[in-house]
Amino acid sequence: MAPQQSRTDIASVDVLPQVRLVGVTKRFGAVVANNAISLSLMPGRIKALLGENGAGKSTLMAMLAGRFKPDEGHIEVAGRRADFTSPREAIDAGIGMVYQHFMLVENMTVAENVLLGQEGGFLLDPAAMRATVSALAGRFGLPIDPAARVGDLSMGERQRVEILKLLHRQSRVLIFDEPTAVLTPPEAEALFSALRTMSAQGKAIVFISHKLEEVLAVADEIAILRRGRIEGEFLATEVDSPAELARRMVGRDVVLDIARAPVPLGRAVLDVRGLSGGGLKDVSLNLRQGEILAVVGVAGNGQQQLVEVVCGLSRPETGEVELLGHGWDAFSKHHDWDGALAWVPEDRAGLATCRSLDLTDNLLLTTRQGFSRGQWLQRARAREAARRIVRENNVQPGRIGLPAWQLSGGNLQKFVLGRELLRKPRLLVAEQPTQGLDISATEAVWQQLLAARADMGVLLVTGDLAEALALADRVAVMFRGRVMGQFPVTDAAQVERIGALMAGLSEDAA
Amino acid sequence: MSPELIVALLAAAVQAAAPILFATLGEILSEKAGVLNLGVEGVMAIAAFAAFITCHVTGSATLGLLAGGLAGALLCGLHSLVCQVFLGNQVVSGLALTIFGVGLSNYLGTPYVGIGTEGFRQFAVPLLGQIPVLGAVFFRQDAMVYLGYFAPVAVWFLLSRTSLGLGLRATGEMPAAAAAAGLNPQRLRAFGVMAGGFLCGLGGAYLSLAHTHLWTTGLSGGRGWVAVALVIFAFWRPGRAVLGALLFGGVMAFQLRLQAAGTNVPSSLLLMLPYALTVLALVFSATRARSSARKAAAAPAALGVNIEPEG
Repeated sequence: MAPQQSRTDIASVDVLPQVRLVGVTKRFGAVVANNAISLSLMPGRIKALLGENGAGKSTLMAMLAGRFKPDEGHIEVAGRRADFTSPREAIDAGIGMVYQHFMLVENMTVAENVLLGQEGGFLLDPAAMRATVSALAGRFGLPIDPAARVGDLSMGERQRVEILKLLHRQSRVLIFDEPTAVLTPPEAEALFSALRTMSAQGKAIVFISHKLEEVLAVADEIAILRRGRIEGEFLATEVDSPAELARRMVGRDVVLDIARAPVPLGRAVLDVRGLSGGGLKDVSLNLRQGEILAVVGVAGNGQQQLVEVVCGLSRPETGEVELLGHGWDAFSKHHDWDGALAWVPEDRAGLATCRSLDLTDNLLLTTRQGFSRGQWLQRARAREAARRIVRENNVQPGRIGLPAWQLSGGNLQKFVLGRELLRKPRLLVAEQPTQGLDISATEAVWQQLLAARADMGVLLVTGDLAEALALADRVAVMFRGRVMGQFPVTDAAQVERIGALMAGLSEDAA
Repeated sequence: MSPELIVALLAAAVQAAAPILFATLGEILSEKAGVLNLGVEGVMAIAAFAAFITCHVTGSATLGLLAGGLAGALLCGLHSLVCQVFLGNQVVSGLALTIFGVGLSNYLGTPYVGIGTEGFRQFAVPLLGQIPVLGAVFFRQDAMVYLGYFAPVAVWFLLSRTSLGLGLRATGEMPAAAAAAGLNPQRLRAFGVMAGGFLCGLGGAYLSLAHTHLWTTGLSGGRGWVAVALVIFAFWRPGRAVLGALLFGGVMAFQLRLQAAGTNVPSSLLLMLPYALTVLALVFSATRARSSARKAAAAPAALGVNIEPEG
């Protein structure tokens, strides 16, 4: 990625900030989500907002978008105080958001989504709507079919629709919440160049991301949010490396390079041979106790289907799957709750837990056989176990009577992982275990997984290459349902080619 | 069967289809906005009574029709209040509305049972009414049937050719997206539910003003439920609702004629026909919904899900 020429320019003092937050505070009950935040968004600048989970980024953005009102302080737009009482007013003031979860209606067309709320008249003219969106897309180099149904589009295309929405509204401030989380590397590159184009046209851009390299690559200025406060604001040029940025972000050095002592290999726990069907093509993998096999790839290239087969959710169409020495049918029909298979799903708030059940009940979701005598549940023992998980994994807030939805993503994940390890599995499937987690929670989860592999084989499905390389003993790269390559992380030549393999370049072409 | 009899049967089918069509269109509006309203049966019953009593007192069928529509809108406003403000369960609230509506209309209507009213009479449309066969079937009807010819077009136009309809659909699919676009999903839902209620009310008014011309208990006769099922059969499309309503109208008219003709088939079996068809239609929709056309035929994504307040 070419470094930006203008990055060293310091915004001249006589340029008015497009949006200014002045001492903004927002509380939810006893929790101070945002504490006296002051921030200026300048036209033509890309500001990255970095912060751990629960640091208050979403709350801050929700206030800018007019969804929440600040308890104290205020927001200024172009030098004038603006008290938004509705999202509409924020839109009219030129503030536009690209949410992490797209705010798109899947069952409507691109043109309908772009023009929703901005139709410019009571009567609609579908042909004119399509033409408007086409013209807009052409002008900003964001190619899209305006008549396509949004539900049929890829994530990158959907994001383009979101951006077109903002451009159509002539938003002057564009806020991107973790925009690359769902993108393939080339799509992310295209997004960055679009961000620079928009910034060059005088838009003020806010870029929220966990990915430190991306922040350094695209931002002019970086603001760090920690526990609801702005803990630092500086030019991107003042930072030399992602490691230094990470240090500034968490306020202490984080060991991103994690020590990995070799563990002796044990028995095979998973053996997949020639698995095809359901989007998979001739997948062969094996995993032994004492190792972590990372399955990497851009989301949607068959990882999900592989996990579903391994975890017994879908039957392998063709090919052999052997788990802990048993065939798929025998194993999936019955296996013990402990000492066998455990799964940490990607969707920790939906699949791994029930949002309104408390932590004890959530513990019992997968471990109830271990806390029952006959038909009776032993709740006292379960509560004790839940308390132990909370204590040992530093789950915050540590009250086991809280419903799951009151925990942040990182804390919920630590709890889920603790619960699954309680089952002493010999095969652990961990799907995107640190997605959306802050650095300290990521580190904690990594340590847990590394320690666990002494007793089990870990199938780690991740889209984060750094995670795969930090944790795994071997890496398998998936693309369109195929395993493009499988090699030890110590094989430097192969590791170099992971990016190419993820993009589907074959052995010869790479 | 003689040709005259067939023409008469078809004309009766069109007439029987009208109330079902209004109610189906009303339910489509409500569901497109994301609110499931199982109260259609009760709404139709109340509206039928409101229309009857207004027409009975004022002597104006038009006022009666309006009263029916307004009663429907108000009653559905109650549903909207329960679901949107108090976040009540849409299924429970709708069922309560049906029980309440049917019961109240029977209670209020008891003194009027058997009393007739003028209502809408059939008249031939100039020229169109003279067309052989088609004229007799479609253009020698009452004013409300003619209104029914325009209603699906109007609902289609509202949903797909106006910004209001676009907002309404967005609200039924993803209220958060509508809110992010600066629309007010709660207000749009309330509009969808009440406008839908008005249409259901017209369907109810038809029963007392044009179908029977007199008040009797149990006038709605399950048509509200048929309408709810037809919405699924119609894949939430006004055009297909016409098809469904005609199909059901046809079966209803047919079984009435068959009963009148004194067939050996037990009348209770004949009375079952429309509901048996309802089950068949739902089975058909379900198989269709599994096929490739699934996306286009799917229910609004946020149907039945209340909008939780933020913060």
